[in-house]
Amino acid sequence: MKEGFRQSMAWLHTWSGLLVGWVLMLIFMAGTSSYYRDEITLWMKPELHQTAISPVTQAMAADQAARALQKRAPDSERWFVSLPSGREPALQTMWAPPAGEEKAKGKGRRRFEEALLDPASGAELADARSTRGGDFFYRLHFDLHYMPVPVARWIVGICAMSMLVAILSGIVTHKRIFKDFFTFRPRKGQRSWLDFHNVSAVLALPFHLMITYTGLVTLMFMYMPWGVKVAYNNNDKAFFAELFPGSPKGPKAAGVAAPLTPLGPVIAHASQAWGGAPAGRIVVDFPNDAAATIAVTRQEGHGVSSDLPTLIYDGVTGRPLPSPDAGRGAAVETRGVMYGLHIGRFADPLLRALFFISGLAGCAMVATGLLLWAVKEKPKHLKAGRIGFGLRLVEGLNIGAVAGLPVAMAAYFWANRLLPVGLAERPAAEAGWFFTAWAVAMVAGLAWPSRPMWRLQLLAGGMLFALLPVLNGATGGAHLLVSIPNGLWALAGFDGVTLLIGGLLLYASMRLGRAPVAKTRLAGNAA
Amino acid sequence: MTVSQPQKAPHLRYRAGVAVRALIAIFGGYAVAAAIAAALAMWLPIARVEAALTATMTGLIVYPCAIMWCFAARTPLRALGGLLLAALPFALLLAVGAQGARA
Amino acid sequence: MTSLYAVVTGCAAVAGAFSGFAFLGLAMDRHWADVHGRGTEPSPAQRRRLRWFGCGQLLLSLLACLALRGSSQGWVLWLGALTAAGWMAVLMLTYAVRRVPRSGIAAGSLALLGAGVAVLVR
Repeated sequence: MKEGFRQSMAWLHTWSGLLVGWVLMLIFMAGTSSYYRDEITLWMKPELHQTAISPVTQAMAADQAARALQKRAPDSERWFVSLPSGREPALQTMWAPPAGEEKAKGKGRRRFEEALLDPASGAELADARSTRGGDFFYRLHFDLHYMPVPVARWIVGICAMSMLVAILSGIVTHKRIFKDFFTFRPRKGQRSWLDFHNVSAVLALPFHLMITYTGLVTLMFMYMPWGVKVAYNNNDKAFFAELFPGSPKGPKAAGVAAPLTPLGPVIAHASQAWGGAPAGRIVVDFPNDAAATIAVTRQEGHGVSSDLPTLIYDGVTGRPLPSPDAGRGAAVETRGVMYGLHIGRFADPLLRALFFISGLAGCAMVATGLLLWAVKEKPKHLKAGRIGFGLRLVEGLNIGAVAGLPVAMAAYFWANRLLPVGLAERPAAEAGWFFTAWAVAMVAGLAWPSRPMWRLQLLAGGMLFALLPVLNGATGGAHLLVSIPNGLWALAGFDGVTLLIGGLLLYASMRLGRAPVAKTRLAGNAA
Repeated sequence: MTVSQPQKAPHLRYRAGVAVRALIAIFGGYAVAAAIAAALAMWLPIARVEAALTATMTGLIVYPCAIMWCFAARTPLRALGGLLLAALPFALLLAVGAQGARA
Repeated sequence: MTSLYAVVTGCAAVAGAFSGFAFLGLAMDRHWADVHGRGTEPSPAQRRRLRWFGCGQLLLSLLACLALRGSSQGWVLWLGALTAAGWMAVLMLTYAVRRVPRSGIAAGSLALLGAGVAVLVR
């Protein structure tokens, strides 16, 4: 544009960031929480908190799973077993319902049945309340809600691409990026907001670039299908068959009954092949059929790629079959790494925490960007004597997104504990509380975009979050005095982090109350 | 914002210019990215699955760059011209490849 | 990997990252002036030394991360350590800038010590 390169990039940065900023707040907050979705799910099932889960060998656990599955679903076409790990101490089993049952349900989409087992006894664990737990946030951040999945993914994709443009143009326009690397000048109004925006952006810049680009990569076949279409002559199926090679014994059952070989020795063999690394997942295709195969995948936590090494065994004899992993090219590996980096499931507790902190920095970056725009625009409107519609809209949306989303998230957790356990469609009801709370916050913010409204919503979010550990104990969960001594770190961590977030939000609310003019450092808005 | 123009005067004209530029960036940029992805998938001398993946991931990088170009260019016309120039060699590659496939 | 090795290498990773940023920050006019008085600047020799030490510490941190988690996760760990250390550095340079030189040296020494012990213990 006419003003010169840096200025035009600054303009592009502002608008590509602002127009999608509120949706990005949702994506970032939900996505960052997803790094701990298993822990969140565990917190949301207080019935499981007291289960004494004793560690057993993987072979034993696999055999228990096989025994349970033989009893529940001997005719199923596919079994899934997730072996116990540090994050999930129980034994997870899933199976596809037999073909006839599916059609009877008339749904078209396969619904897997699942059962959580005690790995020592094979018994099904106490019936935990029906909830989507942390998976709600995980799905929310790319499938949104209340709309068809493709529509949501297109919306999220457009926002992600806009964010990538914002990051790249932001880098280009930030001419003093090295000189201002550590610069933060508090209590200077607009300057402080800009500093905080710069710091939260620059200090985790590799993460922001990575997470945005890899996010687009995870759904790239939807956003940029042309490479595949041209290379494979519109035969998408052939492409996916090459990318994700299936069983070497073919995709169909033989129709001949044959007993399934015991899983224990198969797991042990696989583990040995990986130099002692533990197995993570087992998928049995066509159990009790002559064409049965057992696919053993290594436990996540080593390497970065989401494509974990998998060994395939004949389901009847237990002998190893040729591995589909051999001969994976650089691009296939790269895709696996990109997907793996985004999902972050490889990350051990330390790395996961660092990812989480970087995600919070991302929330701070988006939030401070939104606030910065409003703060910059205000003087012009004050001079003209009245607040224009655009600014008022932005200020209202800012409150609803930055302060309202934490309120909504807390409401979701409160719903988990307050809604009756036997309620029909419970997960949908919990989600309903999230969206209702958010809608109220949004409407309130738009109706009265002002400092008192900020304070009110930050206060509400802060109280709701800070009281979660108390709610936990009061509604049958393992509260901090129980979880810490017993080493239940997932639960203790949840309570601890929510306490911290609540504290930050309350602090922010207080700080807003003190200073007469907008010069406060809303550190709490990171959450 | 960084607009150095008087508050009221050529407001409509300025807005129209921005709108045009944005349309060129969003749709033209995507077209260029798609063309490059398709051409790479067609012509990279590596395994099909590798070429398709490389092409797709490259396309996702080309798109934001094309958008940035459109806003950096001095006039919307230059923006469009730049996109066409970038797309030309790849469009040719695609045409040649399609011919070859038909033959 | 023994826990002693993990702990000392971890120290080297985190302390090195913080120390690196502390030195690099002090090499900048603005932060040097915050410590030594308005308008002062590090001499070219001082600036060079601070920058070299700073980069050296960051490199040490990288090596420690690679040793801790291998060649792929190690890079991810390093970037995460830089982020965390960066935040600490920003907070200190903003709110406790007088303490930065000494903290930087202390952290740097700790990092070197940790690295030395790690090499011996391997």
